[in-house]
Amino acid sequence: MENSTIQKITDDLLPQKFGKQGKLWVAFLSILCVIGFIAYCRQVYKGLVVTSMRDYVSWGIYISNFVFFVAISLVGSLITAVLRLTNAEWSTPLTRIAEIIAVSAITFASIIIVVDMGRPDRFYNLFLHGRLQSPIIWDVIVITTYFFISLLLLYFPLLPDLQILLKYKEKTSKGLYKLYSFLGSFWKNTPEQEKISNRAINILSITIIPVAFSIHTVTSWLFATTYRPGWDSTNFGAYFISGAFLVGAGAVIVAMYVFRAHYNLEKYITDSHFDKMGKVLVLLALLYLYFNVNEFLVPAFKMKKSEEEHLMGLFTGEFAAVFWFAISTAMIIPILILVFKNGRKPFPAFIAGILVVIGSWFKRYLIVTPTLLHPFLPMHDVPANYKHYFPTWEEWAIAIGSLAGALLIITIFARIFPIIPIHETIIETEQHEKA
Amino acid sequence: MKKHSYLSIVVVLLSFIGLSVLAQATAKNDLQLSVSYFNSNNKIQYLVAHTKCKIDGKFQLVPNVEISFYISNDSSATNLLGKATTNEKGEAVLMIPPAAKSEWVKSSKQNFEVVSKASALYDETKANTPVSKAKLKIETSDDKKITVTVLEQKDTAWTIVKGVELKVAIKRLDGDLNVNETQTFTTDSTGTISAEFKRDSLPGDLNGNLTLIAKVEDNDTYGNLTVEKVVPWGSKIQYSTGFDRRTLFARRGHSPIWLELLAYSIILAVWIILIHLLGQIKKIKKLGEGVIVEMKH
Repeated sequence: MENSTIQKITDDLLPQKFGKQGKLWVAFLSILCVIGFIAYCRQVYKGLVVTSMRDYVSWGIYISNFVFFVAISLVGSLITAVLRLTNAEWSTPLTRIAEIIAVSAITFASIIIVVDMGRPDRFYNLFLHGRLQSPIIWDVIVITTYFFISLLLLYFPLLPDLQILLKYKEKTSKGLYKLYSFLGSFWKNTPEQEKISNRAINILSITIIPVAFSIHTVTSWLFATTYRPGWDSTNFGAYFISGAFLVGAGAVIVAMYVFRAHYNLEKYITDSHFDKMGKVLVLLALLYLYFNVNEFLVPAFKMKKSEEEHLMGLFTGEFAAVFWFAISTAMIIPILILVFKNGRKPFPAFIAGILVVIGSWFKRYLIVTPTLLHPFLPMHDVPANYKHYFPTWEEWAIAIGSLAGALLIITIFARIFPIIPIHETIIETEQHEKA
Repeated sequence: MKKHSYLSIVVVLLSFIGLSVLAQATAKNDLQLSVSYFNSNNKIQYLVAHTKCKIDGKFQLVPNVEISFYISNDSSATNLLGKATTNEKGEAVLMIPPAAKSEWVKSSKQNFEVVSKASALYDETKANTPVSKAKLKIETSDDKKITVTVLEQKDTAWTIVKGVELKVAIKRLDGDLNVNETQTFTTDSTGTISAEFKRDSLPGDLNGNLTLIAKVEDNDTYGNLTVEKVVPWGSKIQYSTGFDRRTLFARRGHSPIWLELLAYSIILAVWIILIHLLGQIKKIKKLGEGVIVEMKH
């Protein structure tokens, strides 16, 4: 392979300084994070009373956000592990995007749980007084484990790229150079090192799949092990996992489009990538739609009295607008867009990805809140506002701040590290040329 | 003229109906008052007054009525035993006070009178009950036979009484359980009844003790009499608690063994892999130390 080609790939994929747009984007996200932090400080100072959560709805948009983050984090295992193990080489440029989405999402999933607790000092009680029988403890364990696996899966493939970054000392700041040195100065590309690294990546790719399935199954069990209309379902594990893969894949398509457009990566994230990811997204949307039909049609067919209020609230009642919006935007419209070849072009696929992500957030809200408003045994003599839930500005600010925080991690990561693996791209280009 | 006569009749009739309605509106309800005498376990004697009233064709219990209790028919202040107010069940209870002993011992027969205080709703009402002093004696044998004797005070002596109906039971938490299938017994010529205890393996207290109770209820002559005796005829209660059992719903540190094995082995397996991989990073670091290789890219 010619040096000029290698040089071209390296130059194209090296992290670039923020331009005007990038700076504005970081400033915008930072402002949202600061507003969220101020709202959180108010919540810590005044207590959870600043939220709309009361005796009925004790899990509001914080937990919806948590479920959304956990769901989106599953993409790490889909793109990195499943596609790697199935030798889908086309996924190489997407692996790092998927992994950083997974790491940032799982980080904020953990943070939002502490926010939901009200008093942050209560977090250590989970470890001091947690019961092994409780799905909440299972969730704490699998989230921690998944976070470390995702971090390692991000780190190992980064090692060869760190060596390349260290080579371009003149293009990096002192601080970043120190960071690259700390993280990967020991990587010398020796066959032994490569062998160990490849083995580690394979081990991680295998390990992450059951852990990823566990993380979202356990999250679904937080609901399904509670006897309530809408949650009392044996379908929940599979229902959650299929939904998680869908939103994760949607997020990857959005990130692919943004990085491609912003960093001019058309040669690396090609139309073919959008086409393939579009097909994956259609498959996942159909799968999730199938589980949704199961989840709603079966109880609606029987329409047990206790479930009726909850289901009718979703279909035609208080939550109907949000419900049909979520079903349409997360599944039906993306399927209709992506099922056609032209719909799998970058821009339509990006729109479909955006719709999936937005629809999926509202879907998580619908899983959490309406059920809490319709318990089997309604409370008596509660204030009227207990029977409805609309988040306060503090809740919106914290939820939006956490989403902005996750985006900020991804943005800063892309500024510091190559968002497409340089070393792997060079190797694969070499292999293609030889073939 | 004739027209005026008719008008006068109508006015008179209307006035009469109006007055009748007014009279009905201010009429007081008839309070029904009764009193019962109790001799509990031959130790505590007390009186219970009951109040009820017929409203809209149904008897209803009357609370908050002040009742004065008197010994003898003479409801004078000197014979006043005390006062009590009816509760939501329409009952007012008064223990016969020690101060009434001189009056109490005067005769083997007593009469108790109760008087309800007049109020805006009820007129003053009186009721009384004559009582012959009596008591029950309970004896048991090793072969779980129970003998109860009814004794009546005549002058200063206690004499047996025949033909008195009584129940023999075991005291339980929510009521009394008959000692066998026989609901009631009647004293024979010796003033006694015999009952066989047929409730084997009935849970008792920690020592297997049961409390037998013999009772005469609403007897016209003697009132209500009871006597109790503790017998070791029950089975000993072995208190068992599930608090320390390993269950899915138990407290921290008491999860089922299978769950602990499963959970900890999975956690251990995954974390051993992760720790191994951290070790691999160290190994990669070691391999890279001092190696100077010309970079491919």
